[in-house]
Amino acid sequence: MNTTSQLDLHPDAESLNALAEQALAAPEREQVLAHLARCSRCRQVIFLAQQAAADAETSAQVAATRHTAQFGTWFWNWRFAWVPAAAMVAALALVVTLHLRHAAPAPELAKLTPLSESAVPEPLPQAKETNEATHKPAPPLAAKSIAGNVDFAARRGTPEEFAKHSVPSTAPTAEYGAIAGSSDSSHTAMPLSVESAPQPVTASHLQPEPAVAAVQQDQQQFSGTLSAGAAAPPVSLKSMQAEAYTAHARRQAPSAGPRMMQQSAPAASFDMNTQQQLPELTASLKARNANPPKLPSGLAVVSTAIAQNLMLELDQAGALFVSGDSGHHWEHVARQWTGRAVEVRVKTVLNGNAAPAGGFELKNEAGLIWASADGKTWTAQ
Amino acid sequence: MPSQPVEASATAGISAVPGTIHMLDELWRESGAASYGLEREQFSVILERVAEAQNFGLAPGAIATRRQQRDYFCGLRLADLVLARACANGHPGAWEHFLATYRQPLTRAAIAISGSETLGRELADQLYAELYGLTARDGVRRSPLDSYRGKGSLMGWLRTTLAQRHVDHHRRTRRELPLDDPADGFEPPAAIPEPETPSADLLLLGRAIEEALRKLAVEERFLLAAYYLDGRTLLEIAPLLRVHEATVSRKLHRVTGELRKQIIKNLQGMGLSKPAAQEALDADPRDMNLNLKKILQISQLNAFQEKAAP
Repeated sequence: MNTTSQLDLHPDAESLNALAEQALAAPEREQVLAHLARCSRCRQVIFLAQQAAADAETSAQVAATRHTAQFGTWFWNWRFAWVPAAAMVAALALVVTLHLRHAAPAPELAKLTPLSESAVPEPLPQAKETNEATHKPAPPLAAKSIAGNVDFAARRGTPEEFAKHSVPSTAPTAEYGAIAGSSDSSHTAMPLSVESAPQPVTASHLQPEPAVAAVQQDQQQFSGTLSAGAAAPPVSLKSMQAEAYTAHARRQAPSAGPRMMQQSAPAASFDMNTQQQLPELTASLKARNANPPKLPSGLAVVSTAIAQNLMLELDQAGALFVSGDSGHHWEHVARQWTGRAVEVRVKTVLNGNAAPAGGFELKNEAGLIWASADGKTWTAQ
Repeated sequence: MPSQPVEASATAGISAVPGTIHMLDELWRESGAASYGLEREQFSVILERVAEAQNFGLAPGAIATRRQQRDYFCGLRLADLVLARACANGHPGAWEHFLATYRQPLTRAAIAISGSETLGRELADQLYAELYGLTARDGVRRSPLDSYRGKGSLMGWLRTTLAQRHVDHHRRTRRELPLDDPADGFEPPAAIPEPETPSADLLLLGRAIEEALRKLAVEERFLLAAYYLDGRTLLEIAPLLRVHEATVSRKLHRVTGELRKQIIKNLQGMGLSKPAAQEALDADPRDMNLNLKKILQISQLNAFQEKAAP
């Protein structure tokens, strides 16, 4: 090897690069460094390669810094827009929250879940005795009154017996004209526990044979409802009566004409306007008899009240509807009471007559009363 | 690195060493050689040749133990090595990956090395042609990628190869200076003044400096050459010596101080008194007929068995 000529024998690119990347072992590194100490060409090569690597690294760092700076600049340019945007988002969230909080709860639909026979417990003997004791003094009235329906819940297994009790009640003829003045002794004979019974009691006087058929139908179709009323242990006698009344009123739905007349009778006795409009209402009721009533909910009517040109009807699910044109058009009344409404009636005074100021009363399954003057706004009593 | 007693065969047939087969299997899976169509046997042959060429990174003649073999293989850039060999074999998928990964960085490196965009692109394109194996030798396509052994990164190897091409081209073209037209302002060279005969003290000083430089360690000679002859900065020298630039500065100060002491010592050994030796050091360097570059270049030559990459 010519000691003065350095261009012929050199470490290859692999060794020079490995030296620059600190990837050489000590012996090989010594060799390469010794060559670099005397070879300006290889020193130039390795420094040029190192410079190129440094440039690439610097450009990569600059690119990364520029990217970061661009993001920071973009964020900084929008700094004034973030505040109103955040305020708008907060306001929107507040509105949504308030709206959700004040939204009216959806009307609760009652469930008719028929219970199996095995699931229906026998009524308590004490309650049975109480009921029997309550009705014993007036056996004929038991079938006429709503309380009789409560008793029916315990005796539903014998429809013939129930029919036997009910048949005498069909004796009085359903005369519309006689209804207005009817305030017979059945009111006074009513058990005190039956608070919601005064008008239906009168109605039960006028129930013809369909009542028996309705009872039998009820036994088949709505035994769940009645049984549930009897089965629930904490249910009081009052609520059982209310349930029974519900079923009783419901089975009168096909023959709504006489029942509605009975209910409107007390109001007619006081309200002359209503009395004058009675023929008109009678005509509408006749028309309703020809065409069975159909509420917007599509469910059957369980209770009706008519006063002051207003007709209020309660459907099977407890929804209340009001009509100002004798049932041609119905308006759903928003729920303002608790529980399930089981009865709507004309407001009465102590003697069972309609209140002079008019108005309606609504009772839920717990026996609580709400009152309304126009049928739309209800206040708890 | 101290070699240890023979534990396994050094280079030939490394696959036959117990435990090495499992290691090679593992390395073959990790390198992704299968994606470039390199079978397990081909991969093993490549590793054997690479290890044989570098003797597992040990001094020539040393025998590597199994642990040293394992350390060597684990220190290789296997993914780059496999890619380079697959490209050299002409695998299309490997070339696709190579171009996507290295095309742009290599062009930028060529521009940085040459200092000119035109020259840089030309340099990069020329290297690409060589890498693709457009040059044939004895009817066989040859690619410089075959010489890559995975010791450093493939990108670093490409940069160094570019720098070699550029420096060689520059040195070649610098010699080919155009001849001036003799009829156009030809001036005869001035008479070369005869060199003055240096004094005996300067001759002694030259000899003392020459001896002192020859006794320097390899790293110290490289430091002096890079700093004083090439004019490199401390920041450029530091990465090659694996130290911080401040350390390079301290080393430089220490080397020059020791060199001065050694020169005085050599002068004293040549019969000069200490004051006379110090006075001789104050001589004007321009009066000396001393080629430091030549002195550094002839020191401790070690021949490299391999030429630069073609």
